[in-house]
Amino acid sequence: MDDAASRTSPATTRPIWKRPVSRRAVLATGAAGATATALAVLWKGDALSQILDRVRDLTHAYQGALNNERVRVAHLLRRAGFGATAGELDRYLAMGTAGATQVLLDYPKTSNASLDAALPAVDPSGGRGAATVAAIQGWWLQRMVETARPLEEKMTLFWHGLLTSGLDKAGPAQMFTQNQLFRKMAMGNFDDLLKAISKDPAMMIYLDTETNRKGKPNENYARELMELFTTGIGHYSEDDVRESARAFTGWTLQGSQQRRLTTDSVFVPRLHDAGPKTFMGRNGNFTGDDIVDMLAPLRVTAERLSTRLFSFFAYPNPEPEIVHHLADTFQKNRYNVGAVVREIFAMDAFYSPKAYRALVKSPAELVAQTLKATSADAKGYVAAATAMAPMGQVLFYPPNVAGWPAGSSWINSSTLLTRINLANSATQRMRTALPTQSLDNLTRTLVDGNLSPSTKDGLKAYAAAHPGDQAGLLFMVLATPEFQLN
Amino acid sequence: MFSRRDFMTQGLLPIFAGSAVPAVFANGVAAAAADSPKATPSDRVLVLVQLAGGNDGLNTLIPFQDGAYHDARPTLRQDQGVLTLNSQLGLHPNLKGLKASWDAGQLAIVQGVGYPNPNLSHFASMSVWETASVRGGIGDGWLGRYLNYLDQVGESPNHALEGVSAGSLVPPELRSKTPVTALQSLRTFRLQPVNEHGTQVDVENPLMKFYSAFKGAGPAPFGALLDTTLQEALQASHALQATDATYVAKGTYPTNSPIASALKLVAETIVSGLGVRVAHVTLGGFDNHAREKPVHDKLLLDLDQALTAFMQDLKGHGLDDRVLVMTWSEFGRRVKENGSAGTDHGTAAPMFVLGAPVKGGLYGQQPSLNDLDNGNLKFTTDFRSVYASVLQGYLKAPASDLLGGNFEILPLLKA
Repeated sequence: MDDAASRTSPATTRPIWKRPVSRRAVLATGAAGATATALAVLWKGDALSQILDRVRDLTHAYQGALNNERVRVAHLLRRAGFGATAGELDRYLAMGTAGATQVLLDYPKTSNASLDAALPAVDPSGGRGAATVAAIQGWWLQRMVETARPLEEKMTLFWHGLLTSGLDKAGPAQMFTQNQLFRKMAMGNFDDLLKAISKDPAMMIYLDTETNRKGKPNENYARELMELFTTGIGHYSEDDVRESARAFTGWTLQGSQQRRLTTDSVFVPRLHDAGPKTFMGRNGNFTGDDIVDMLAPLRVTAERLSTRLFSFFAYPNPEPEIVHHLADTFQKNRYNVGAVVREIFAMDAFYSPKAYRALVKSPAELVAQTLKATSADAKGYVAAATAMAPMGQVLFYPPNVAGWPAGSSWINSSTLLTRINLANSATQRMRTALPTQSLDNLTRTLVDGNLSPSTKDGLKAYAAAHPGDQAGLLFMVLATPEFQLN
Repeated sequence: MFSRRDFMTQGLLPIFAGSAVPAVFANGVAAAAADSPKATPSDRVLVLVQLAGGNDGLNTLIPFQDGAYHDARPTLRQDQGVLTLNSQLGLHPNLKGLKASWDAGQLAIVQGVGYPNPNLSHFASMSVWETASVRGGIGDGWLGRYLNYLDQVGESPNHALEGVSAGSLVPPELRSKTPVTALQSLRTFRLQPVNEHGTQVDVENPLMKFYSAFKGAGPAPFGALLDTTLQEALQASHALQATDATYVAKGTYPTNSPIASALKLVAETIVSGLGVRVAHVTLGGFDNHAREKPVHDKLLLDLDQALTAFMQDLKGHGLDDRVLVMTWSEFGRRVKENGSAGTDHGTAAPMFVLGAPVKGGLYGQQPSLNDLDNGNLKFTTDFRSVYASVLQGYLKAPASDLLGGNFEILPLLKA
């Protein structure tokens, strides 16, 4: 099937996922912009406006940004991680784009000893209170900022937003345990991760598998497994939901501790419905693992996960050719997620103009990059993690089982003011500790040195009017619209 | 002629300045509310109260005389203190304020509200209610379509507070082509000045220029979105700051109650005459699969006290005739309680429609507890019928266009 599918791609033209999308085309046609404008007036109606749009796309100032290697590496670090300090950017830049990509992807080879030494001891096992929650949120945020393996944390965030559980039902210790599971299996095989998450206590509480018993099946997890985690709606029936719910019976929380405290699960045969089931047209005495083994190979699963990964790292609504290629990669590599991520970072589309600043920084990304710019102490991490709530993202507390809606939904009047105010309070908090940096250095590290001319002028004017106010100047850079995007 | 929506989609939204400033911002805002006791349809405000997680309808509007209810709820049934509405039905004992509204003829209760082939997933079912489409999806919300409609017919006040959500995110039912403001508190809804060695440096003007410059240069659609959003935020912020000092609550809002704080915030925006048309607040925590009773009792108490204060507040300001409150939840709960003194996801449940414009009473039919579908109630009124009744009867909007179909209009509202 895979061979047949790949044969359908015309051999004569380079497929879009390899083609240097419009990056080189832009350089070639940029000079032709004026001519095109002149020609466009000979056209009429919609055609004219389309041509003008196209010409504007081809000629406006940001098209060429990724032509610069420093910008490419900064773009990579924003997407594969949480941005960079000036020092990190220099270090990865010295490796070149390809070398930096390799190091980011092969992160198990990178020691995280200095992060481990810096992290506070966190023990969420005893509590459910606000202090415990804030502690694990600050702990994760510190990891995002200080890790030597940025992709590991980024993938952990990806899984938290896809295979969701939340503090509205699960306890902090369980969410903390789940977070380590995501980190450990971040780039492994999808079917293995699904089998593990099916038995993860936070998930079992969040989607009620802990109450899923022989004779009293609970459909919640089975439904979301298909609707949100694998195939998407429209590829399963209500009978499939009911039957697979029976298959997932038998796993329960271990120990006599309160249900929101226990971090282990156990299979209890007498609670499992071992009877025959019919799932997606097949018959058998299926277990939950059997259900995962039937869902992971489906093409719709491959396409859905590929789309989700590409949209998370590159830009939303990928072209069908891109999804097709990534889904092939997923299936040819035994559902390996790392293989798909590796492929995304190798695509020209990832460095195409369409990808540049094509994502809105999520609050986690915004806050982590802000703290990279200001630095923070342990209390600062906890404060910043707590301050994310009014931006619409609370770590370990997604709004519902579908995770956080991304893109423009991060931006509304309230969240935008909060984002800007956060930059203000973070810079004020560290104002006496901030090293003196020139405006050029600040903008090169934080916004690729790529700002509207009038914004550049405005920043220069601010610097001139407020000499020595490093905190204020850094704030002004962090408050730019350019910094809101990734 | 370009509508606002065209400007939004094409990234051409002009900066409001000079004569383009909506009148409501240019004039004293407190006066705007006071001088219109007889509201035109476009002055009317709909406040949605979302009971997130699936409210237990059977323990909200209680069939206390039905033996099947007592059999199905051995630990969860309400035996005492039910606030009787008639010989069969009563409100939960904690809904005393709503009972008073009922007695005053200002509470309509639509019974057994649901939709065909009910979806028992929170997310999918919320999406159904939010989009008013049994397919759900990510399109504009049903009230977002109402905001779009106001724009199309030139009734849009065209500013940031037309749709207001109390919270950090804009809820899907308000998803629209016009911006909707998420409000969390008036105190934080402002751009903080920079503190330069003790001197406050106002940064609004330079930032507005940054965002305006990025509007044309930034990647679509974000350049325009960021610029428009900052403009709208600052306008709304200025308007809100100006009214902060003048609003005095005329209802007694409970403290330490997020739903009360949210409704108070909504009241303040309405009282301040900021042009609110639709507002949304959420009370979460209804998904009680285990140990339901204490949690549910407290939620209904919080709801009742917050709504009571809100209605008092509006009445005190002479605005009660132009505000309608409607509650909704993605589904009710299973009729029979489970083995953990909780209830699983269910289907049909009652909706409350509250306010002076309401013709109080019971509407629709109470679903039978003896004729169930897989243990769940069979719905008797389609939720879109309630939406249609409010859109047409109260907001005077073309319900069938906005809902994509014809649904029975219930006489919930005074003529």
